[in-house]
Amino acid sequence: MIDLGQYLPILLFLGVALAISCVFVFLPMGVSRLTGTHNPTAEKLSEYECGFPAFEEPRSQFDVRFYLVAILFIIFDLEAAFLFPWAVSLDFTGWSGWTTMMIFIGELAIGLIYAWKVGALEWE
Amino acid sequence: MTEFFQSLGMNYEWAWFVATIAGILLIAFPLMLAVAYVILIDRKVWAAINLRKGPNVVGPFGLLQSFADGLKVFLQETIIPSAANKGIFIIAPIITFTVALAAWAVVPFADGVVLADINVGLLYILAISSLSVYGVVMAGWASNSKYPFFSAMRAAAQMISYEVSIGFILVCVVLWAGSWNLTEIVEAQRGHGFGIVNGFYFNLLLFPMWVVFFISSLAETQRVPFDLTEAESELVAGYQTEYSSMAFALYWLGEYANILLMCALNTLLFFGGWLPPVDWAPLYWVPGIIWFLLKTLFFFFMFSWVMATVPRYRYDQLMRLGWKIFLPMSLIFVFVISGYLMATGHFGNPA
Amino acid sequence: MIQAIAFYLFATMVIASGVLTIMSRNPVHSVLWLILAFFNAAGLMVLLGAEFIAMLLVVVYVGAVAVLFLFVVMMLDVDMAELRAGFIKNFPLGIAIALVLLAELVLGIGALGAGPLELGTASGANAPNLANSNIENIGALLYSKYIFVFEAAGLILLVAMIGAIVLTHRDLKTTRGHQNITKQVRRNPKEATQMKQPTVGEGVEL
Repeated sequence: MIDLGQYLPILLFLGVALAISCVFVFLPMGVSRLTGTHNPTAEKLSEYECGFPAFEEPRSQFDVRFYLVAILFIIFDLEAAFLFPWAVSLDFTGWSGWTTMMIFIGELAIGLIYAWKVGALEWE
Repeated sequence: MTEFFQSLGMNYEWAWFVATIAGILLIAFPLMLAVAYVILIDRKVWAAINLRKGPNVVGPFGLLQSFADGLKVFLQETIIPSAANKGIFIIAPIITFTVALAAWAVVPFADGVVLADINVGLLYILAISSLSVYGVVMAGWASNSKYPFFSAMRAAAQMISYEVSIGFILVCVVLWAGSWNLTEIVEAQRGHGFGIVNGFYFNLLLFPMWVVFFISSLAETQRVPFDLTEAESELVAGYQTEYSSMAFALYWLGEYANILLMCALNTLLFFGGWLPPVDWAPLYWVPGIIWFLLKTLFFFFMFSWVMATVPRYRYDQLMRLGWKIFLPMSLIFVFVISGYLMATGHFGNPA
Repeated sequence: MIQAIAFYLFATMVIASGVLTIMSRNPVHSVLWLILAFFNAAGLMVLLGAEFIAMLLVVVYVGAVAVLFLFVVMMLDVDMAELRAGFIKNFPLGIAIALVLLAELVLGIGALGAGPLELGTASGANAPNLANSNIENIGALLYSKYIFVFEAAGLILLVAMIGAIVLTHRDLKTTRGHQNITKQVRRNPKEATQMKQPTVGEGVEL
């Protein structure tokens, strides 16, 4: 049974943390207007590329490998998610529960070996 | 603490509320103070290893250095680049810092000294720290500038790569402790090694997992040798390049708060949290929170030490380490540890 | 009381961010709203007493799936005009799906008579060991009663993984020879170098 009373502090903590962070971001903006350091110019506000005007669209180049990493991460994260309840219920499920999970891990290990052999884990 | 506020004449609900808010502030502000000093410690340690003096001008031994830096940054102008997506650009540091603070809600500082003692405390930390990738990606994207974007992509791929093995390592620890509750995990470590040593590290099967966890926590927090996101020779200064003033400082603070969290996790999961190193009565006279803080500081020292001595990895080596060494290794250890525990009847006599 | 306030807070946030997800013009904003929706849904799960599912929602959906969405969306240059054209082309299909969803909603509202949701007090009548947290109960059920479903899930994950690799993996022509780290580490000066002392004017034989 869960105790919701333990979760309310977390919600409050999230609220307080958010408030503190907002203060940290917005207060200096206000202060800089008061102290006169707020002085935006077009040059200052342009994006940074080693002193030159930007050569190309910044968001264009992107390696497809990043997708692959993200997809592999989803799959292994899900596998870990299946392990979470398994790890604390072994005293209940016993050897059959253990064997099931080992078969499951084995299946994903095959996937990992495949990824390895194909070279999906290589970065150049 | 609720009783104290009740004794001031408040009814239970208000006393609880005030006590909780006080507890939250008692975690958040000392944490920020700790971050300020930990930055100083970091610089002092690097200086000592490099045979320099380190910050020593502002205040005695440079003790006020971090505050001077903070004040300077606070009075700076907040620059929002004209090409940036303003909303996301401002929200990104807020998310980073909120997430870095919020994870501390479930950390037990001593026996019973914990804000929210939930059943799935460790999962909560895992969940919250998986959010920190957004602060980085949003900053990189919203800056609309080439280097921050590359850096953010690298950072995201790096963080998720190492999160995979961290998940499996946590499973190994939980198998042994039998709970996802951090307090129970610490209690399970009492007298773990020969009935004397408090801590899972004193265990041939879990020690390698601790080593992997320590290295993964370096990678997860983008510390040297895995600070490729801030490789200044190729990426200017990382995803915060376009940030200035306090928004920039929030990344700095958030990063160090995350490092401290990882140090605290090392302590809680493998080195017995608030328990003294050895299960010996006189050592219990020292309050648990002192042990906890000392151990956390020790891990922070190790982080600084690594930073001062180890050269940076290359990105393909980083990915190789995460996917080809740590992932298979932690998977095998899940198999070995659970098999060992089953065979030795750790789980009683299940059906 | 507080549970009710929290419920309405999370519920409004879920719906509002859900609406904003489909209304945003910028796809990156859409994904960010979607993340907020997931996060608040996790809050609702906690209120229902499903703490493990709540954490899982954040770990898997926010921590993993949404990262992929964000990667995809950040890279794609979404052309709004083209999207509009697609919108008109797929309009009948959209209407059909909307009708199905509407029917589900009506059915869902019909279930109102079954009584209100009980917040934080799951009866857990099917749980094997009531005293423990629900993460243990889920484990105890999933790995005893639902073994085959679970293994099927494992196979689906395997297929998904192989499919993803087949679709996205390109053999790079320009790889610089792969580094064999073990080989590099095992090299020692004795094997790698040779001492020669040639006499003047004779050169070295390699």
